[in-house]
Amino acid sequence: MIWQSILLVIVGLAGGFVVGSGFVAFITVLDIVPRLTQLIKGFKYISWFQRALIYGAVTFTWLDFRGIVLNLPSLFSLIFGAFAGMFVGMLAAALTEVLNVLPIFAKRLNMANAILFLLMAMVLGKVTGSLFHLLVYIDK
Amino acid sequence: MGNSVYLRLRNRHYVRFNEQITLSNIAQIIAPESYETRIKNLVVYQVTEEDQHLIVIDLMRIINIIKKEFPELEVRGLGKPEIIVEILTSSMTKKPNIYAVVFVWILLFIGSGLAILNFHHDVSMVEVHRRIYYLITGVEKAKPLILQIPYSIGIGIGMILFFNHVFKKKINEEPSPLEVEMFLYQQNLDQYVVLNENKENRKRQ
Repeated sequence: MIWQSILLVIVGLAGGFVVGSGFVAFITVLDIVPRLTQLIKGFKYISWFQRALIYGAVTFTWLDFRGIVLNLPSLFSLIFGAFAGMFVGMLAAALTEVLNVLPIFAKRLNMANAILFLLMAMVLGKVTGSLFHLLVYIDK
Repeated sequence: MGNSVYLRLRNRHYVRFNEQITLSNIAQIIAPESYETRIKNLVVYQVTEEDQHLIVIDLMRIINIIKKEFPELEVRGLGKPEIIVEILTSSMTKKPNIYAVVFVWILLFIGSGLAILNFHHDVSMVEVHRRIYYLITGVEKAKPLILQIPYSIGIGIGMILFFNHVFKKKINEEPSPLEVEMFLYQQNLDQYVVLNENKENRKRQ
């Protein structure tokens, strides 16, 4: 019994270790933290932001696994949703599909002047697609 | 020592058909005063109808031309060993076709909408939203709209933040990732052109 528990602890720890480092690697590759620090010129606080990522990952894993219900008013989910959406938006923008398609359009189709216009197409497409999916596409 | 000419090729030069390229067009020059104007006006290349879109001019070729004209001078090249000259054709100076832009706009709009749908399905976003809504409020709800609508709008805000563009205004002056990506793409193209279009490089043993 005790050996089984020890084994489970080791397996759990190892799994978490790998997933955690994978998560950090993913965020690092996409350069989201440097991008945000550049935007607010907050290079001094970069270690705070790193810690925010770690605390966030651990806290929400814990809440989810333990099934801890916070019983807050639904206004809080509005705030949560807005922040979650912004983060996913940054992820989507950072993915190379977006970053690599636009320069090629600009060069090949001679559309360098229209690039902002095309960027807005992608942004609005994401918002519309997401709204469509969540409000219309899914059934109850 | 008084006979040295220093050359530094510029990054890029644009010409039209049948124009002459003089040395001062494509390079910064430091030369002895008595030679300066003559060297600056040396014709390095005559663009003809046969030339294609891009011309690569090698530094060696320029040194050769100067040496032929002024054998007594010593020429030193600094920086990049070649320059890319782009020929401006009428189609390039024209504005892009508005129909083409609208077509691409719709293509990207629908494409990125589809991509976000696929992404949400891939990561079971709907399930996660229901779970989060339950964890926060303690109420089970199939469509937690108060979470999902701000989430959707947030996606747009996040993308704009990342690209540093609020429609046409810039939040700060540093280049955005898109501008950096455009620059890198152009640089890769240039590198390819320099290696593959340079006539001097093509001569094999």
